[in-house]
Amino acid sequence: MKTINYVLTGLGGQGILFMTKILATTALNKGYNILGAETHGMAQRGGSVVSHLRIGDARSSLIRAGAADFLLSMDESEAYRYLPYLKRDGKLFVNAPSNAFPDGRVDAWLKKMNIEPRAMEASQKAMELGSPRSTNLAMVAFYSAFGYGPLSKDDLRATVDDMSPGPFKKTNLKIFDVCYDTGKSMV
Amino acid sequence: MKQEFLLGNGAMALGILEAGCQIMTSYPGTPSSEILPEVVRFSKAFNLNTGIEWSVNEKVAFDNAFAASISGKRACCCMKMVGLNVAADSFMSAAYIGNIGGLVIISCDDPGPHSSQTEQDSRLMARLGKVPVLDPANPEEAREMIKTAFDLSEEFQVPVMVRPAIRVCHARQNVKYDVLENNETKADFKREPTRWASTPKFRFLQHKALNEKHIKISKKFNSLTPFNVHTLKKGESYPFGIVTGGVPSSVVQDMFEEYERKDIPILKLGAPYPFPEEIADEFMDACDKVLVIEETDTLIEYLLRDKRKTLGRLSGHVPMEGELVPEKIESVLNKSLSDCGLSPLSNHDCGQEAFSLVGGLELPIRKPTLCSGCPHRASFYSIRKALPKAIFPSDIGCYTLGSNLGVVDTVLDMGAGITMASGFWNAYIQDDVKKPIVATMGDSTFFHSGTTALINAVYNDSRFILVILDNHITAMTGMQPSITQGDRVDGKKGNAIALETIVKGCGIDYLKVIDPYDTKNMIQTVKDAAQYVNDPDGGIAVIISRHPCVIGFKDTAIPEKIKVKITDECNECGFCHLRFECPSMYSDKESGKTEINEVLCAECGVCLQICPQNAIEKA
Repeated sequence: MKTINYVLTGLGGQGILFMTKILATTALNKGYNILGAETHGMAQRGGSVVSHLRIGDARSSLIRAGAADFLLSMDESEAYRYLPYLKRDGKLFVNAPSNAFPDGRVDAWLKKMNIEPRAMEASQKAMELGSPRSTNLAMVAFYSAFGYGPLSKDDLRATVDDMSPGPFKKTNLKIFDVCYDTGKSMV
Repeated sequence: MKQEFLLGNGAMALGILEAGCQIMTSYPGTPSSEILPEVVRFSKAFNLNTGIEWSVNEKVAFDNAFAASISGKRACCCMKMVGLNVAADSFMSAAYIGNIGGLVIISCDDPGPHSSQTEQDSRLMARLGKVPVLDPANPEEAREMIKTAFDLSEEFQVPVMVRPAIRVCHARQNVKYDVLENNETKADFKREPTRWASTPKFRFLQHKALNEKHIKISKKFNSLTPFNVHTLKKGESYPFGIVTGGVPSSVVQDMFEEYERKDIPILKLGAPYPFPEEIADEFMDACDKVLVIEETDTLIEYLLRDKRKTLGRLSGHVPMEGELVPEKIESVLNKSLSDCGLSPLSNHDCGQEAFSLVGGLELPIRKPTLCSGCPHRASFYSIRKALPKAIFPSDIGCYTLGSNLGVVDTVLDMGAGITMASGFWNAYIQDDVKKPIVATMGDSTFFHSGTTALINAVYNDSRFILVILDNHITAMTGMQPSITQGDRVDGKKGNAIALETIVKGCGIDYLKVIDPYDTKNMIQTVKDAAQYVNDPDGGIAVIISRHPCVIGFKDTAIPEKIKVKITDECNECGFCHLRFECPSMYSDKESGKTEINEVLCAECGVCLQICPQNAIEKA
């Protein structure tokens, strides 16, 4: 299988590593090999956090600029910062108001690269549904609505179900379903 | 058979225990910090009798492991690469003396650097100390190399280094493992003073013996598959080849596979030193030009004999500094192939256009900052308020971020907060200037290398204030326990040592212990301390600024939570979020007003004391 590359980004404290874990665990359950790269230490104290995840038989953990199939960003500015990682025809998913994204200055480049940006106010939705810290899984649900890549919505949802601690399960699944539906309405 | 999505540091922990390592020591430092806790986790899961400790510093860790090894046990010591500097004396000496049970040093490099003061290449330390070194490409290889390292170390009676770079340590990979078993070897130290306590005359002989070991190991490395391998076809010659190792070797291999380039042979040297001369000569003979891609410095490139055939850092093809991220490697490969008249791997610009487009967007600069509620922020605020004109030598830990608050003037290495304070004092007092100096250092760093510095300063009558920022934990590297609490890495109770005892034992007469959350009291304490320092009969003043880390002691660090609000008195001066730099305060883009992010706010209430307009009050 060709390696599938995910770049996941956001700010320190937004749960990028948990988001990585949802995708990685799903891939592992499907029997794929996975390799990823994380941010730790000084770089983790606030600031920009990025996680690379490669599904397939890669030997190296970092995704090179111009090679990511998917960029999922929990923060608008961080989405711009990591744009160079997307490949031609790559898919971009951002936690931002859909009418305000993207910045006009990157339009031409996105068009040239044939990258269609998809934005949803994931943090807003997670907050409204009672768990602002679940923005990470809201983004995963949103992404899953478009049906790209080797991980299906049902598989990802099952992982969220498994990984959510008892008291949060119901809310997390609710957030997942609502954000999936939001994505579905944009397909 | 179990499977986990493990950090590279976890995969290495497995390798360590699979090799039957009995004694494991370390001092935390990014990117190495998770190795030891993972050894604890696996050791517990399989009920192994492994001796595991966080040592007070890297030299102590090394010596402990060395003693175990010459007692016949397998021992391992891990650290970040600058930690190896601290252990360098032991490291060099141990190579001459040699060992009995396998002794493996894992020195984790941080090219970038992401979380370190230098980008030094541990392989060059191995070369300096004449210690064989293995350079893994990814977590799985690191795990296998550690087992090989133990075997080599025992076969040749020499310590062996494994050098994982950050992309091995903090990579994650699905890793399978089986049941782990205890190594039952008993300690059996055999007295042999001419070896274990050898005098210079015997040291010469040991040096000679070490050099002879190297010849044998070099021969072994010529065929050390799968770590040292090439893809030459017998009898063929090539216009261009690549010599690589470690993390870049995995990037190169992935990229050639992706671009389906089969015309370029690769020599991978996962075991680069002692240099495997024969396999390298064979490769050089078959290629007109070779490009060396290694991280972080030039080891292989120096050891290859024919420089006229070699492209790399010395020829200007590979950057001399910074991490070799994949897009950089791609552009190095493209240029080198083109320079040799061959078609490049790709014709695109390796992200350059996009990076410059994004560079022009003026995205917010995200610098690391102290956490919301961090007691260090309160300490720094008070120190600056009390003595704004002092020199502020500081040290390595979370509190290095005090530089954002203007209270960290220097950071050299572990312990230098105190040594540089005495150095500054000496430099000024020579001119009869009594310069106010306030040094800051964390509790873990103080134990690591602050005590000798303080003893020296007392002995030589330097004068300054030392503020020990005691948050009961080694926070920056991931919340390792502190000696002040006495908890050990495996959950067993050790013996807590009070900072007060050590400070007084160093000859300090003036010691105050305060809680930095009370800034008024701390400001006065610092001012009082300054008077003592200036008094002819005074001396060094030590203030222990004690408050638990709000992350490490989440449930207890803030016993009385205080919700705050911003009042109409606020004149938007920005002090709270720009100078005091509380991450929970921000200026709202639309309203232009200072707001509180309630999700982030730790409710420490310190901000009630710092607003110049008194515009923050209890909600």
